Amino acid sequence: MTDSNQLVAKVRGLATNQISILVGVLAVLTIVFTVLEPKFFSTATATNILTDWGSVVLIAVGQTFVVISGGIDLSVGAVIGLSGVVSAYFMVNILGESTKTAPEDAYIPLLLGAIVSVAVGVFVGYVNAILINKAKIVPFIATLATMGAALGLSVIISDGMPIGGPNDFKLISAIDPKWMPFSVAVIIVAIVVAIIGLFLHKAKFGLYTYAIGSNAFAARAAGINVERHISKIYMLSGGLAGLAGIYVYMRLGAGSPSSGTGRELDAIAAVVIGGASLMGGIGRMWGTVLGTLILFTVQSGLIMAGVAPDWKKVVVAVLIAAAVAAQTLQNRNGRK
Amino acid sequence: MAGEVIYEVKNVSKRYGSVVALDGASLKLHAGEVIGLVGDNGAGKSTLVKVLSGAHKPDGGQIFLDGTERSWDSPRDALEAGIETLYQDSGLAPHLTVSQNVFLGRERTLKGILGFFGFLAKRDMEEEAHRNLEEVGIAVPASNRSVSQLSGGQRQAVAIGRSVAWARKVIILDEPTNHLGARQAGEVLQIIRAAKKKGLGVIFISHTLPHVLEVTDRIVVLRLGRIVKDAPTSEFDGDKLIGTITGTIQTIKVEGD
Repeated sequence: MTDSNQLVAKVRGLATNQISILVGVLAVLTIVFTVLEPKFFSTATATNILTDWGSVVLIAVGQTFVVISGGIDLSVGAVIGLSGVVSAYFMVNILGESTKTAPEDAYIPLLLGAIVSVAVGVFVGYVNAILINKAKIVPFIATLATMGAALGLSVIISDGMPIGGPNDFKLISAIDPKWMPFSVAVIIVAIVVAIIGLFLHKAKFGLYTYAIGSNAFAARAAGINVERHISKIYMLSGGLAGLAGIYVYMRLGAGSPSSGTGRELDAIAAVVIGGASLMGGIGRMWGTVLGTLILFTVQSGLIMAGVAPDWKKVVVAVLIAAAVAAQTLQNRNGRK
Repeated sequence: MAGEVIYEVKNVSKRYGSVVALDGASLKLHAGEVIGLVGDNGAGKSTLVKVLSGAHKPDGGQIFLDGTERSWDSPRDALEAGIETLYQDSGLAPHLTVSQNVFLGRERTLKGILGFFGFLAKRDMEEEAHRNLEEVGIAVPASNRSVSQLSGGQRQAVAIGRSVAWARKVIILDEPTNHLGARQAGEVLQIIRAAKKKGLGVIFISHTLPHVLEVTDRIVVLRLGRIVKDAPTSEFDGDKLIGTITGTIQTIKVEGD
């Protein structure tokens, strides 16, 4: 290959590279919304987008592993509600903390609450894994069942009302509302996402996830314990939903049973917009991170531009269709 | 012919519900020997392969590796004992790269704390995958290319090269020349000869009888779950082999008939 050919290949690679396309989409959206409503381009908007991003990116990251492995996890939205409710119940009724706890005294109970919240999520993931591996139920139905169960349980535990508990809202607010749209919680989320991203792309855990989604038969023939790995993936997805549960709890200052309802669809949408294939074997962490950002940029932008919020669903639908179509076309070209 | 008996099954049977897929089959494989396993669809070839590779446990019978009786709970057991199996059309994960496929299940990790968490020594594996495939005599594509970008022949070459590179004792090849052009099939047969030269025992399953006649030392014919003929390849020609497979040439007296 000559140098000029290499350059052409590089440019073409960049143009068809999903990550650069997503960055482009994000840039275009930002420009369009800023033109429609100049106030859109502000730290306040960024704060809103990032705060929403923080909860959904966690379950979207879990979903990325699940989808790459060829499965789907519908239970994560309900787990946000259940884990938030259970950890609020734990902090209030077992630790004896209340909403009156001073913010600076809230850290230890919040940390313990976070552990409980993650444990609840991991447990639901474990149930998913048993249903999928032992009962041989397809992931869609297995996680639909646990979604219903988690939703029901969270209403039963909370009596259908949010359970208020100790909190420090400073953790979830922008560090500096003028210049720094990040909150401490969002920074923690970003670090978690980055570490898990390394496990997806650089470590055995991620490699096996791709291998199973690409060809489970080959993975098994190569000696990989496919069932055990699938269990780990659903427990990871559940655990991250539990982490999202405490995040959402901190936003509300309460565990609310319906606080995650429908979020699983946001996560799946983000993963697909990010370029993952529901057939398995394909997906990138950067794609998911950007897909989630795009989702909430659209949401904030439409609201600020004064468009009825229901249009968000239409725009997201168009983005999903475009992402899947782009992938299909790319596959067709790649096979030539 | 070649060395010691390396792999042996005695009188193995397997039934699925009321269907008898394998009915008292016995087979001996020597080091440095290539056996052709042939039979019509439903003759029990796949079942025998699954028993030999550890994917299925036989209902009855014994398995010996190097003279010691063994039993496989999973393909991993057989793999660790030195038996490599290449399944029909499904040996590779298309979304992974060549080197990721070559090292699948045997990844090399980094040293230290990162290795503890399963972080991979990517560069090492890419170089070694390239070397391994080259040794087996394969014109290898770049190790960091995704397998989905390779041609059918290249994929099969990588799959077989991987098996031969890792196999320590036995290699089982299920229809490795399927869907390949004449030249590519020739390359595959060349790799089988390389495996034989390495002293491996090779079990070659194929419907393409000229390939079987060309590369094997001995041919085992299965019909209706039984081994009906086990003889040196020199005793067969094309017609006789087809006759034995379809049953127009009577080979053994079937009890109870």
